[in-house]
Amino acid sequence: MSTTPTLVDTTRAEFLKFRTVRATFIGLATLILLTIGLAVLITLVIKSNWSHRGPVERLAFDPVATSLVGVFFAQFAVGVMGARAITSEYASGAIRTTLAAVPRRVRLVVSKVIVLLVTFFIVSQIVVFAAFEIGQAIYKSGHLPSGTLSNSTDLRAVVMAGVYLTLLTLVGFGIGLILRTTSVTISVYVTVLLIIPIIVNFLPSSWQSHVSKYLPSNLGQAMTTPTSVSSNSFQWGTATIMLTIYTVIIVGIGTFLLTRRDA
Amino acid sequence: MLKIDHLTKRYGETLAVNDLDFEVKAGVVTGFLGPNGSGKSTTMRVIMGLDRPSSGRATINGQTYHQLKTPLREVGALLDAKALDPNRSARNHLRALALANRIPVSRVDEVLEFVGVASVANKKVGGFSLGMSQRLGIAGALLGDPGILLFDEPVNGLDPEGIRWIRDFFRSLAKEGRTVFVSSHLMSEMAVSADQIIVIGRGKFITAGTVDELTANAVGTVFVRSADHVRLSQVLTSAHATVEVLNENGLNVIGLNSEQVGEAAFAAGIVVHELTPQRASLEDVFMTLTADSLEYGHKNVEAHS
Repeated sequence: MSTTPTLVDTTRAEFLKFRTVRATFIGLATLILLTIGLAVLITLVIKSNWSHRGPVERLAFDPVATSLVGVFFAQFAVGVMGARAITSEYASGAIRTTLAAVPRRVRLVVSKVIVLLVTFFIVSQIVVFAAFEIGQAIYKSGHLPSGTLSNSTDLRAVVMAGVYLTLLTLVGFGIGLILRTTSVTISVYVTVLLIIPIIVNFLPSSWQSHVSKYLPSNLGQAMTTPTSVSSNSFQWGTATIMLTIYTVIIVGIGTFLLTRRDA
Repeated sequence: MLKIDHLTKRYGETLAVNDLDFEVKAGVVTGFLGPNGSGKSTTMRVIMGLDRPSSGRATINGQTYHQLKTPLREVGALLDAKALDPNRSARNHLRALALANRIPVSRVDEVLEFVGVASVANKKVGGFSLGMSQRLGIAGALLGDPGILLFDEPVNGLDPEGIRWIRDFFRSLAKEGRTVFVSSHLMSEMAVSADQIIVIGRGKFITAGTVDELTANAVGTVFVRSADHVRLSQVLTSAHATVEVLNENGLNVIGLNSEQVGEAAFAAGIVVHELTPQRASLEDVFMTLTADSLEYGHKNVEAHS
């Protein structure tokens, strides 16, 4: 029997740790409820309000984006879960037990990333597809314009919404690796996604157009909007690559710091 | 074999470990003794690859911890019993460690049984008492059946029965040929549980040896009881001894051995009822040694002025 552990063994251990705490399931339930619940709520409100809408409003109506509005809230749930995948170990001191069992710290990070990536990719995709389908069914029942997965732009918007949530899980994880404390990590995460866009809004408009399209939240918008909106945002493909690069850089810095620091 | 090789560790300005250099032998229980804050835990963290040494290194069978392919099969450690995710069950905690080191998962129930926490294996460890957490930590250390075991202050939080159990347990591990390295700030504990003792103070090596060796080199005292202890005290003081008067006509004599005390009393015609050499306890030795290390800098200053 070969006794030298590999990345597979470390990943199996990390996956076991991930699924043996209740917080994981509470977090995943929050993700599901936020995304699907808000899709139901918003689409029902729009449906009941439809007859009061004027022609211009009806023309501006986006059945896909409105059904995926829960993603905006779910991004905070996934960020917290990503962060806690590492910060909870620092909070309890369990990180020392973990690092004694897996002294190869880069391998440990890779294993944690694999667990988060696979789990959140699958769950996010299921959730956004469900939100989309439920939303469109509600629109159809009220004879409103609706989207369909056979339309490649709509399909792409839905898939990318799930990809966005997956990447943001890893952004939360990366910030957690760097900062190590749950509360500080969540503060920074919320600042980046929510506060900085507000600050940018107060900049002179000539600056805004240069800055705002680089913000993660606007990259997310660009990724999930089926129609190309304005010159002030990236194409969906560019936006996806940029957000992936952000994620790699943040997790990379966190990994580097982990290998340098005392535990 | 566990080897500490000119190990120095700084945290910013603080020198936690200062050029420690020693080997820990297999087959005996080695005590790692020093006051709180003397660098014991830091040394153990460096051995476990958790903290990076500022210079020097710690090696396990010639390799640093980071070089070990299957660390838990070579070294088992209990550093901080409460350093666990409180929301995970004891069994799942150990299963994760086993998976990461390719240790058969069947081993988990074996070690849980052995340390006596099998009945609460599926309970969250957050609800464990310190004693139960200690036992779980020991189970984790034994998981990979390692040849080297480290325990940082293992008796903390244990009840007397637990303390006895752990002493016997250390002995049996050593008897199996393993290296057992146990830190403590309690000299009394080390005196009964360790064969070999390494004493450090302020991060520096002070001395090493068996309990007997350490106490033999220390200056003992003589207890003498006499009906005329007042005159005996005068006689002994004039023979350049330091005399403390205890109750029950007893004197504690420092600076003379029991023969010298007896002869002095005989020469002065004083009847002696009891004459007992008092061996220095390990605790006395420890206090003297660490006190010296604390005063060292002070003496230097005086020499230069």
